[in-house]
Amino acid sequence: MDFEFTDDQLSLRDAVARWVDKGFSFERRHGIAKKGGHTRDVYRELAELGLTGLRISETHGGMGFGAVEAMVVMEELGRGLVNAPYAAGALVAPTLLAGAPDALQAEWLSRIAGGAALVVLAHQERNARYRLNQVATSTKKSGSGWLLSGQKNVVPAADEADAFIVPARLSGAESDTQGIGLFVVEKAAKGVAIHSYATQDGARAGELKLADTPAALIRDDGLAGLELAVDVGIAAACAEAVGVMDKLVALTVEYMNTRKQFGVTLSTFQALRHRMADVKMQLELGRSMSYFASLKLGEPAPQRRRALSQAKVQLGNSMRFVGQQCIQLHGGIGVTDEYIGSHYFKRLTMLEMAFGDTLHHLGEASARMTDTTGVFA
Amino acid sequence: MDLNFTPEEQAFRQEVRQWVADNLPKDISHKVHNALRLSRDDLQRWAQILGKKGWLASGWPKQFGGPGWTAVQKHLFEEECARAGSPRIVPFGPVMVAPVIMAFGSPEQQKRFLPGIGSGDVWWSQGYSEPGAGSDLASLKTRAERRGDKFIVNGQKTWTTLGQYGEWIFCLVRTSTEGKPQTGISFLLIDMKSPGITVRPIVMLDGEPEVNEVFFDNVEVPAENLIGEENKGWTYAKHLLAHERTNIADVNRAKREIERLKRIAKAEGVYDDTRFRDQIALLEIDIVALEMLVLRVLSAEKSGKQSLDIAGLLKIKGSEIQQRYSELTMLAAGPFTLPYVREAMEAGWQGDWFARFGICAPLASNYFNFRKTTIYGGSNEVQRNIVAQTVLG
Repeated sequence: MDFEFTDDQLSLRDAVARWVDKGFSFERRHGIAKKGGHTRDVYRELAELGLTGLRISETHGGMGFGAVEAMVVMEELGRGLVNAPYAAGALVAPTLLAGAPDALQAEWLSRIAGGAALVVLAHQERNARYRLNQVATSTKKSGSGWLLSGQKNVVPAADEADAFIVPARLSGAESDTQGIGLFVVEKAAKGVAIHSYATQDGARAGELKLADTPAALIRDDGLAGLELAVDVGIAAACAEAVGVMDKLVALTVEYMNTRKQFGVTLSTFQALRHRMADVKMQLELGRSMSYFASLKLGEPAPQRRRALSQAKVQLGNSMRFVGQQCIQLHGGIGVTDEYIGSHYFKRLTMLEMAFGDTLHHLGEASARMTDTTGVFA
Repeated sequence: MDLNFTPEEQAFRQEVRQWVADNLPKDISHKVHNALRLSRDDLQRWAQILGKKGWLASGWPKQFGGPGWTAVQKHLFEEECARAGSPRIVPFGPVMVAPVIMAFGSPEQQKRFLPGIGSGDVWWSQGYSEPGAGSDLASLKTRAERRGDKFIVNGQKTWTTLGQYGEWIFCLVRTSTEGKPQTGISFLLIDMKSPGITVRPIVMLDGEPEVNEVFFDNVEVPAENLIGEENKGWTYAKHLLAHERTNIADVNRAKREIERLKRIAKAEGVYDDTRFRDQIALLEIDIVALEMLVLRVLSAEKSGKQSLDIAGLLKIKGSEIQQRYSELTMLAAGPFTLPYVREAMEAGWQGDWFARFGICAPLASNYFNFRKTTIYGGSNEVQRNIVAQTVLG
């Protein structure tokens, strides 16, 4: 039992933090967001730091690091409010591809590791909400390959990605847990149509339409792989949220110690001090459960799924409380576009809904509850 | 970063688990598992069993006869005790006054008092709060006047937990009214059999006399019972409060109690009601988060690095969790917790007015009793002041 970071992990954290300090000012981010949230250049810079190969094995040109290193990077990207699709491209997609035939892995993983290819998971469907087994996108056998048809919604960085990983139905009814295939679809493939848009939190997403689009099969027992990838995404969202909250709380502390009303700083009012104590509570419970999420990723699926749902509930509640209260503690300036804090709040709001919101995961944690309770249960 | 305990720590856990299984009397664990009333004898019997093994003094260094455990070993010990259904150690002797005697007492005081504390033979009480000094403890007024080789003590202490059983009491007393209130306080050990001491139980909202008023009327205390220097008592008391930070969260008991909540919810048919069950799941998440917080504090202690500034959070969250499980456990049984039958909280009671009445009988009383947790040990509002200080300066 040990929650200290190794020297290597601290160096990694430092490297990301230095890049944020030098290369990713709020002005730059604000400018990117105002122009529609295109971040491929930012993603390229992360690749130059070697970060896109973080979780990819050395045989495919990556660094072969683990979940804790990913958590460290996500915390720092959160602190810097970095809006590039790092978790989607460098953490979630490689997890999905790890189950692919060797040739397919060889085709994509080294390009992902080097940053030449951005591959993202496109799994959300309009009638599925957060259910991963609800897959309407259809498949058709065509010679030795497959053709896919359907629509995936709110795909991260849709128009900037080079390829998509798409769950599609091989057999059974729309909500069957069996018969879900995972496929790689290249953006340049026939029948791909993308309608993209800016997102509330300064990035980019889009609709992906497939019409008899050729696709390469990763695996035909797709749900298990999809669940693991989503859990990796949850752990990344939790870690990012910790970084976002850390910074937002620091901004709020600074503001409360400077801003004066009634002749004294805001930090002198007990009502506001107690609110900050509650914010600190939510931040630290959140950080604790973010550690929990990353450290449980290697557990067998039932324990892993429950742990990740538990973590997402805590982080969801923490994000909402910290975000809302920090805006409130700022007063009027907190609800303006020019103030940096409002953008941290918007990111927290959207992160709560990433890979399942708080109520969804409370339902999951509740359904998966057993007789015993605790970190090691 | 690693969630798992080391092989040595796990072996240690197994050793404790086996010993507790072999030595914890079944009649006592039955009461704990069913929230039945524990007698003085139950509490002291377990303390003496632990004392004989040398484990009542679980936090003591070896030089004073303790096992010299690390913070992690101590945590594992507490977890195993809680899991097996042992009563909480009454903390006033081994956990609260003993560290003060070790740090600030004379060698004679250490020789005289520590053995009886470590063996569980002597029952200690705490004399801090007064009618006019609750959260604002430094405003305490109980006076101790030095007359030759004695102090003459006059005044009143209150909220003295289980003081009706106390043989000795450690008190904060006022020895000076000069300067700031904190600077005129001394730390005295007082024999509760001294003439002039009256103990009057206070019946709490659950009907139980858990705490007491203790009156001091010209009580003579030998000057050799003064800890350290006169007027330095506040410093010593703060040392005491700095001890035991993870213990106050009591996460190990919470883990046991939520398991009981699940059993009762199943028996009462509300476990399958998703609206109720989700509330248990939320509590479970709170408990896991608190346990992670505790483990983080322990890890920081183990690594020897600067301790985390999150200890103040442990008391707030731990007490809120205690209240929540007692509340949900009561709500699980609903209207069947209405009957107030004091005898039903004794082990072996055979009432059968309705099915599972014995299980339901203590639930409302426990809920009432647990309202204290956010008040004692520094109210949660005072804790928020402390947390805010670490965040805002």
